[in-house]
Amino acid sequence: MLTVASLGERELRARLRGPGLRLQTGPFVTCVHSPLAPLAATLGTMYGDYPVLEEGALADFHVRLSGSTGLRRFLRPQVHFHYDGMAPFQPLPLDQAFPMFEWAMNWCVSSQANSWLVIHAAVIEKDGLAAILPAPPGSGKSTLCAALVNRGWRLLSDELTLVRLDDGKIDPLPRPVSLKNASIGIIRDYAPAAAFTRPVADTVKGTVAHMRASSDSVARAGQAAAPAWIVFPKWQAGAAAELTPVPQARAHMRLAENAFNYSLLGETGFHTVARLVDEVRTFDFHYSVLDDAIAVFERLLAERA
Amino acid sequence: MSSPPIWRLAPGQRLVHRCHDGECVLFNDLTGDTHLLGQDVLDVLGALRDMPRTAAGLAQDAGAALDPEWCAELDELLADLAALDLIAPDLIAPGLIEPLPGTQPC
Repeated sequence: MLTVASLGERELRARLRGPGLRLQTGPFVTCVHSPLAPLAATLGTMYGDYPVLEEGALADFHVRLSGSTGLRRFLRPQVHFHYDGMAPFQPLPLDQAFPMFEWAMNWCVSSQANSWLVIHAAVIEKDGLAAILPAPPGSGKSTLCAALVNRGWRLLSDELTLVRLDDGKIDPLPRPVSLKNASIGIIRDYAPAAAFTRPVADTVKGTVAHMRASSDSVARAGQAAAPAWIVFPKWQAGAAAELTPVPQARAHMRLAENAFNYSLLGETGFHTVARLVDEVRTFDFHYSVLDDAIAVFERLLAERA
Repeated sequence: MSSPPIWRLAPGQRLVHRCHDGECVLFNDLTGDTHLLGQDVLDVLGALRDMPRTAAGLAQDAGAALDPEWCAELDELLADLAALDLIAPDLIAPGLIEPLPGTQPC
């Protein structure tokens, strides 16, 4: 299988500058165009294990990240994102090219992938059972997700949970885990063997860095998982790791609020969330210490066994 | 003096719902919204689907026709449900469904 790493740096840059890099992430193929050498280098590092399709293969999304023209090339250069020729976002400083790529990939899926119920949630798996972690920014969702995937859980997604409409299973979309501000140092210390991008300061989300998805999670991106738990996490200083059951009807409403396309899917969205809530146990979860949090997840798993 | 409105389930509503431990989620066919309701409210909607009736008729069915506080809450609930397009005043056959004998207006 052709992967980003097997292309080599020169071919990777040639594809990005020329016909496009057809990059497979989970069920999606994105054709990426970019002349930006630093972006190519980071893609090579963070996406080395990912499959690449040959030229001419159909792509779900066509994206281009390009630099500024004219004087802007020299004075505070920027990166511009284009999707199918449109520019849905304002340009960002050039050193934010990789974060912009990640945000743009999320946007492509969250705004276009209506063959799934797309929930703004991290999702991890062990022994075939998935835990969905929906939460607003700042709740510690990505930090918890990063810790769990460095302690034996498989990354299905850090940001977008894809729930199949036909059978309710979760399709993986493993991509780099986005970490912000203090979480970067916390996870670097917690998982020193993991690979990270260089932190980029002064983004709209503060300082951001991305942690590479494990080779195993990328290799198993075709293996769906059955949802078993929905856990609404909240990091809270000094809090003991504790689960509190969430009544199912309320969990339904909260999931709907966290889904990008719940309303768009109409009654199908309703039934998809209803089935999900029927099949899982639902909890609020407060935690402060990562090891304690992981022990709680292991206990959930043991109870299912 | 005008007659009290006769309420019925809004045309097009099918009461697609799921209930857990006394709480229900209901899909609104007309707006696409999902509502979180108590089981008792869903029962009211079900009653209006089965037979349009006035607030007084509902109160009598619930055995609370003489409780003014309950009636006031029911009026408020019906107004809220109408605002959500879940129920509507029956405009097709006003007057055909008479309040049940002995029913006090809410």
